[in-house]
Amino acid sequence: MLVVVFALLSALYFSMFPGIQEEMEAFEEAFPAFMFDLFGIEELHTIEGFIAAEIYSFFWVLLLGVYFAYVGAGLIASDVEDRRMDLTLSNPVSRESVVLQKAAALWVPLVALNVGVAVIVYLGALAIGESFDPVALAMVHLLSVPYLLVCAGIGIVLSVVIERARTARAVALSLVVLLWLIDGVSRLDDDYEWIGAATPSRYYEETDILVHEEYAFLDAGILLVAFLVLLAAAVVVFTRRDV
Amino acid sequence: MCARTQAAETGSEKQTATIRLDGLTKRYGEIIANDDVSFEVRPGEIFGYLGPNGAGKTTTIRLLLGLIKPTSGSAEVLGADVRDRRALTEAKAEVGYLPDELGFEERLTGRQVLDYFARMRGDERREELLDLFRPPLDRPVETYSSGNRRMLGIVQAFMHDPELVIMDEPTSGLDPLKQDRMHAFVAEERDAGKTIFFSSHVLSEVQHVCDRVGIVREGKLVALENIDDLLERGGKRVRVQFPEPVDEDRFGTSEMIDVETVDRTVRFTYTGEPATLLEHLVQFRIEDVDVGDPKLDDIFKHYYGDDGDAEAG
Repeated sequence: MLVVVFALLSALYFSMFPGIQEEMEAFEEAFPAFMFDLFGIEELHTIEGFIAAEIYSFFWVLLLGVYFAYVGAGLIASDVEDRRMDLTLSNPVSRESVVLQKAAALWVPLVALNVGVAVIVYLGALAIGESFDPVALAMVHLLSVPYLLVCAGIGIVLSVVIERARTARAVALSLVVLLWLIDGVSRLDDDYEWIGAATPSRYYEETDILVHEEYAFLDAGILLVAFLVLLAAAVVVFTRRDV
Repeated sequence: MCARTQAAETGSEKQTATIRLDGLTKRYGEIIANDDVSFEVRPGEIFGYLGPNGAGKTTTIRLLLGLIKPTSGSAEVLGADVRDRRALTEAKAEVGYLPDELGFEERLTGRQVLDYFARMRGDERREELLDLFRPPLDRPVETYSSGNRRMLGIVQAFMHDPELVIMDEPTSGLDPLKQDRMHAFVAEERDAGKTIFFSSHVLSEVQHVCDRVGIVREGKLVALENIDDLLERGGKRVRVQFPEPVDEDRFGTSEMIDVETVDRTVRFTYTGEPATLLEHLVQFRIEDVDVGDPKLDDIFKHYYGDDGDAEAG
């Protein structure tokens, strides 16, 4: 479902790009620099910059981050709420393995979206006669995985802490949006940029990857560690609480 | 020497109890859902856990399964302390559970649901059970009636041939025919050596099926009875309609409790023998009679008092 949405969006952007390529140069001059900083936008007149700005910085980092936080927040809380967890835990399975298996199930949307959208974007660029560095494109997806996992991890922690699934989802979703805003706003002023160091989106720079081909493996590693810490926290909380 | 032998005997008894509760207590703030509950379920018996809705039966079951943690006291299931997560998880391979509310993955078909549970604990008896209880396996669970849900629940609870099956209101949602089949099935399973923990708020059902009964009211265990004793404590809810108003003093007997008279209709709970009731009724001119299951709480109040203490006799 989500892959289809992304396919349609990408198609829309690719069909727009040739027509507005020149306008984009004017657009870049017209808007104050902080607008671009907020969204991490650069080089809109190139295909890489355009796609980075239009697809990845907003839809990928924000909306997909929100989506994974939302899914993560429902993983445990909704099962507890619907009494599915009672039956699950009547099996000879530990609570640790229940949380880990739930988290492992996230690989399905993660792989489907990353492979699906990468192929669509690559073919889309070819279709309008632009070329796209396939390595950079693969990297923008690969390095987004730890980021999306952290968003899911935030959701999972809330899913074991908050009793009602609806509340857990709402809090997770708001938190991810808030973190994204903090990151964006803190970039506007060098004095405050350090605040954003605690936000996951600071460690995933789609524009650096696509436009400058800079691959921040260390940052991805930091995100991966953050995800594991969140997951461990969720396991610890879940093994100690009533369901 | 004598004291040591006694201690050893207590020790071996401790191992043979399939379920043992020792002062099990669960509080939610001010509310005491289970208050110092102690009893044992012996191997190979059907133990009835009888109480009105909201008495704390489900809380006890969820404590036994380790879904919630006791505030104080302890319990053992198949020798595993419920506070020892690892031991309890292992013991669950030999436990079947039929919850009161069946939370299945709604979008899966019945067959997929059973496959899912089979992966975790086996399903050597699945086909045999599906001959007795037949939920529509190829349809998604979200389309199931409550009876079909219950049947799917029964199959998953027994399909791995566990030593102990814990059932919470197992016949709710089943039509009377299936209820009878379920009762017969449970008795057969007991005869084949299984231990059954049978929680219910229906007195007649427990009288019909169980060997021993623990009676719970407001979180407290008020009595442990052999089934023969419980059979004497039966009751029926009766409504009698007369062609003209009747003298309550002439009609009433000491076996009638909670008597309400409205015009020509008298309602009461009858705690004596059914035959005696019928003999009594034929002495009057009667337009209509309705005899049904009583409200459990009325019966309990009569036999076990308002403060939860069992009366003598």
